[in-house]
Parts: sequence; structure tokens; C-alpha cells
Amino acid sequence: MNVVLTLLRKDFALLARNRGALVLAFIVPMIVIYIVGLVFGLGRADSGPSGIPLAVVNQSDSPAAAKLVEALQAEKSFRLITTINNPDKTSRPLTEADLEPMIRDRKFSYAVVLPADLVSDSRLGLHLKVLSDPRNDIESQMVDGILEKTIFSNVPQLLGQSLQARARSFLGQPQYESFNRDLADNIARRFGGDADKIRQRIESGDFGLDRLGGSGTGSSASSSNSSGGTGDLFSRVLAVDRVQVVGKEVKSPAATRIIGGYAVMFLLFALSNSSSAFFEEKNTGIFQRVLSGPVSRGQLLWSRFLYGVLFGLMQLMALFFAGKVLYGVDVTAHFGPLIVVCLCVAGACTAFGMLLATVTKSAQAANSLATLLVITMSACGGAWFPVSFMPVFMQQVAKFTLVYWSIEGFNAVLWAGNGLGGMLPILGILVAFIAAAMGIAVWKFNRSSIFD
Amino acid sequence: MLSFQQVTKRYGALTALDGVSLDIAPGEFFGLLGPNGAGKSTLMSIAAGLRPPTSGSVTLSGITMSANEASSRLSLGLVPQHIALYQELSAEQNLEIFGGLYGLQGKDLRARVHAALEAVQLADRRRDQVKTFSGGMQRRLNIVSALLHRPKVLLCDEPTVGVDPQSRNAIFEYLEQLNREGLSIIYSTHYMEEATRLCSRIGIIDHGKILALGSLEQLLTKLPFEEEIRFPAEAATGPLVERLRRGGEMVSDEETHRFRPRPDFPLSDFYRETESLALPARLFTVQRPTLEGLFLHLTGRKLRE
Repeated sequence: MNVVLTLLRKDFALLARNRGALVLAFIVPMIVIYIVGLVFGLGRADSGPSGIPLAVVNQSDSPAAAKLVEALQAEKSFRLITTINNPDKTSRPLTEADLEPMIRDRKFSYAVVLPADLVSDSRLGLHLKVLSDPRNDIESQMVDGILEKTIFSNVPQLLGQSLQARARSFLGQPQYESFNRDLADNIARRFGGDADKIRQRIESGDFGLDRLGGSGTGSSASSSNSSGGTGDLFSRVLAVDRVQVVGKEVKSPAATRIIGGYAVMFLLFALSNSSSAFFEEKNTGIFQRVLSGPVSRGQLLWSRFLYGVLFGLMQLMALFFAGKVLYGVDVTAHFGPLIVVCLCVAGACTAFGMLLATVTKSAQAANSLATLLVITMSACGGAWFPVSFMPVFMQQVAKFTLVYWSIEGFNAVLWAGNGLGGMLPILGILVAFIAAAMGIAVWKFNRSSIFD
Repeated sequence: MLSFQQVTKRYGALTALDGVSLDIAPGEFFGLLGPNGAGKSTLMSIAAGLRPPTSGSVTLSGITMSANEASSRLSLGLVPQHIALYQELSAEQNLEIFGGLYGLQGKDLRARVHAALEAVQLADRRRDQVKTFSGGMQRRLNIVSALLHRPKVLLCDEPTVGVDPQSRNAIFEYLEQLNREGLSIIYSTHYMEEATRLCSRIGIIDHGKILALGSLEQLLTKLPFEEEIRFPAEAATGPLVERLRRGGEMVSDEETHRFRPRPDFPLSDFYRETESLALPARLFTVQRPTLEGLFLHLTGRKLRE
């Protein structure tokens, strides 16, 4: 028994000395659980996505349209955009013409137009227009669902208004008013109540239809659709013009959407692990041998950076071509811009690995920190699930991750089909990251004593 | 040829080298002997331009060695203490890479690689991965990796650590041959036997200072005695220690007494004292002075303490 206890004590003593194992065993899982918990709303009163930018253009003068805008405003999943800033820093209301260019510019991915004929006297039902850039499939489906839920919550009153408009058009104003007055009087006589108030409710389209389907109490879109009763009725009377602004030509949308995120995650792992080789060369005296020759520290560091970039480029292109062969991802149509993005992403990931190698003191520490950061960045940066599923503060954090901007770059090429000009902001951020990370790495490497 | 002038290196409060001045002549086989932590590797790395000295300078043929000036290191070869080789690559690939760093290429590089592998009897294993080599073979390859560019000075930082006696002997013979061909060698070690066998001049270093410098014979004359008489530390020899103390230096530890007689001390006095105490002759051995003894004399401790 003493032997077993001694061996047990030995294992715990070794574990206590192995910070890397401790980080992997305890810290990494906790962070992943925390992030996934945030995504699924654990510990949050307001689960689900939040703050997804949604542009709304209201061309209707109907009070119900205004009410619909208010309902969208109240929906915490959305952050409504209704105005645009002019160059002179004044703002004006968005117009329908603004929407497509702004979606292409990634100002927002979803927009709703409530047209002037939202409630028309020429047909029964409602007419809406929804524009989107569904580059993230899960987010896109979620937005559709929330939009439908919000609209269906307001459909009954809108439908009542539609009926009133049709009646006014069909009967003419005098007969329409007479009809409503008679109807209100009959209801008041039969069921009690003030005839004038009843008439006002009839003319505003409030027939109490919302109570038929229960959708007015905030039931989800899916339950509205599947109720088979009022939901189906509302679906039939709601005419939505859907316009996919970006990605219409993409041959394999699902694969195109996910490949970038996973590609950059695995690249980060591969290049972070290469920092182990850095320490191996340091510890085995190879650095001493090399640097005792006509080789400078700068040459040593930059040659490794160059290797990382070329290796990363090969890995990314291999993954994208695998995506083409297996799932038909259209790589060749965007080959030039894709190479440029891959170079920048590979450079940024390599710089990340170099930074780790120069700020840590051992291969074990570098590997542990790499695992921690790569998993955290992948989870926060949108490689696993849409960024919009996380709380707003985490969405801001995502923008400080390499993964987020790498995915943006890949999507800009493969999904939006952007040329180099359209990707300059993203490429600029990646290049800035490379410059900052390598700047620190070179500074640390030149100052460090690599022979102790 | 290689000259150290008042070289000092400090790491915070620790002084690793303290005003070391040293000149290595062309074709010299110089030994740097000292215990672990004495400052040998620091001196070697400064000589190789890997670290800048805190003060002082190192020049090779008049050119100042600099950590920032790579070209100043072209005439040097460094054999690091570790086996600094790419274990996954073959012997040939390793040599091609290290030769390539010095600008060697094409036929010239291939010829030098072949010659180097022949010289250390590894030509028939040239395509094998280094990790499949024995420790001795790896050490030999470690040495020739520093020679492809034909340096004027070879810095060997304890190049035989962990090597079996047979391989060590092969390495010694190879280094001696290189030295005969005109290569200057600075060889750091904490093995007295290595310094004694290989080096024409030896510097004894401890706590960052050169304590003694010269040929083996010159160094041993620094001892105030010519021979050392050793006998066991036991009850029977206790009175002898007291009687001999007036005739020279007595150094004792738990097991052994070392009597170092003054030059004018008559040996007949020694025999008389041992006879009077009836101590048998088998208890006594006479030892020629050694570098170990010199180090003990200079520092009061053994080389490997």
C-alpha cells in the first residue's frame, strides 16, 4: 500500500510541476464550457442571439407598420438600423436604395423593407421585402425565424387593416362608414359595450384575430408555422419578397460557409506547435551552432516566419482544394484573391506562433498557451458558431481575434466573391496583426538570452 | 590570433567572467580547465560572438568579435556542448545545411561533406538519420559540422560529455590530427585528464577568473611541492600527521591525508617517523603533482565539487 501511495504522491507532484497539463486539464475546458454556455444562454436571462444588425426601411404610413417597427426595436436579438450618416456627419433615414450596397459592404447582413403597399386596398394580405447576406447559415435561419415571429405577432392587426382597406375600396367611403357603423351598433346591442369605441376598433383593423392563434403573445415562428391553424392562415396572407444580396452564385453554400473557420483553426494549431521546434533548436544547441556562423538572429527568426507562411499557404490551399473535390467549393473562380487572403492568414497565424515562442520560456508553456488561445479564439471568433449568438460584449471581444478576421477574409472571397479592393480593410487588419506580433517577437528574440 | 582583453560578463549581480585576458596563438591547442559554473561556456560563447561582453573585447586576427556582426564569425567554428544536430535528418543533410549557412554550395559543398564524413568514419552511414547513431558517432558528427567552412579557430565546449572511453579516444585523435594540420583549438573541459593529454597550454578558470595559465609543466611548478605522499586517515596514522605538519603542507579529508613536503624537507625524517610509529609501508603512496592537485591548492576544493 505504501508503494502505491508513494507512486500516487509522485504522480501528483509531477502534475503540480506540469503547468501545461494543468492548463489543458482545467483551464481550457472551463473556458470552452463558459463560451458554449454563453452561446446557449446558460446563466443568462436573455438566451439566444443578441444585437444582430437589422436595417429597417419603413415606406408605409400605416400605424401598424410603425407598430411593427417598434416590435422589431423591442426584439433584443436585433439592433435596428434606420438611419445612415452623411459625409457631413448629419444623418438621414435609410432608403431602400441604400440597402444592397450597405449589405455588400458588410454594414449589416439583414434588412427589412416595409413598402408603401404593406397594407394595400388592391389585395388581401401583407407585402414585405427582406434582403439578406446569408453567409452564416445558422445565423441566417435564426434571423428568419425571429423576423417571422415578430411579424406574425403583428399580422392580425395588419390583416384587419388590410380587410378594412379592401372594404373601403370596394364599397366606397360613404357605404364603408355606414357598414362599420351598423356593424358596431349590432355588436353593441347583442354583446353590450360602447358602439363608437367598437366602430373605432373595427376601422383600425383590430378584430381580435391575434387571440385566435395565440401568436400575439410572442410564440416562436416555428410554432406559428406548425400550428396548422392561424399560423398557416397568416403565412398565406403574408407575401415576402426575399432578396439574397450576396452569395447567390455560390455553388456549395454550406461547405463554403464552414471551411474557412476550420481551416484557420487547424492552421493555428499547426503553426503554434511549430513553436515547440523553436525551443527544441534552442535547447539542443542548434541555435548556438547556427548563430556562431554568419547568421544573425533576425535571419533566424524571419526564415522561420517565411517557412510558417509557406507551410500555412500549402495547408490552407490543400484544405480549400479538398473542399472543392469533396463538396464543390468554388476555389478556382477566386484563385487570385484567395491566395492573397491565405498568405495574409498564414502570415498572421505564423506571427501568432512566433509571438508565443518568444514570450514563453519553454516548449511546454508555449504549447499550453497555444492550446488555450487557439481554442478560445476559435470559439469566440466564429469558427464554431456564429458570433451573434454570444452576448454583445463577447461579440466585441471576437473582433480582437485572429480567427474572426481570417473567417471574414475567406468569406469575403469565397462567399461574397470580393476582389482585392473589397478586401483591403480585412487584409489591412491581418497585416497589422502580423506587423505587431512580429515586432514584439523580434524585439523579444533580440533581447532574450537564448543560450541559458 | 584570438585575443581576450579584460573580458567581463555580468548577469545582474552575478559576475560570470571577471576581467579575463588571454591570447591564443596560431596552431595552439589551448585547454580551459575548470569546474561546472566556472565561466568556461560563457567565455566560449563570447568568443563565438554569441553574447556580448559587459566590458572588454575579443578580437580574432585583429577583427573585433561582435554579436551583431555576423561576418566577424566566419573564421570560427563552434562545437556546442549539446549534440546540436537535426536528429530526424541524415548525417549528409545535416552537414549540407551547416555548410550552406557559410555560403558553401554545389560540388565544393558535396566534396567537403564527403571528406568530413570520411574523416570521422561516417561515410558509410551518411544517408542514415542521426537519431540512429550511437552517442560517439553523434559527437563526431557534431565536431565535423563545425569544420566544413575550414575555420582558423575551433571552439570545443566540453565536446566529450557522455561519450564512452573508446569514442572519446577517437575524438581526441581526430582533434590532435586537426591541430597538427594547423587548426587552433580552444578546448573547455572539467576533465583534468583531457586537458593533460590534449593541450599544449592550459588556463585554469574558477568563478570567472583565470587562476593559472601555462603549459602543464609550468603550471605544476606553481605547486610549492614536487610530490605528494598520501596515507589513510585512521587512528594509527593520527600521530604521524602531527609530527609531519612542521615539514610541509598537510591537507586532510575524512578518508585521506595528503602530505606535501617542503623542498628542503629530508625524506629520511619521514621514514624515521613512520618507523617509530610502526606504520607499514603499504599505507603510503607517492603521487606526482597533478592539475587536480593544483586546482585544490589554488581554490581549496576539488575540480568536480
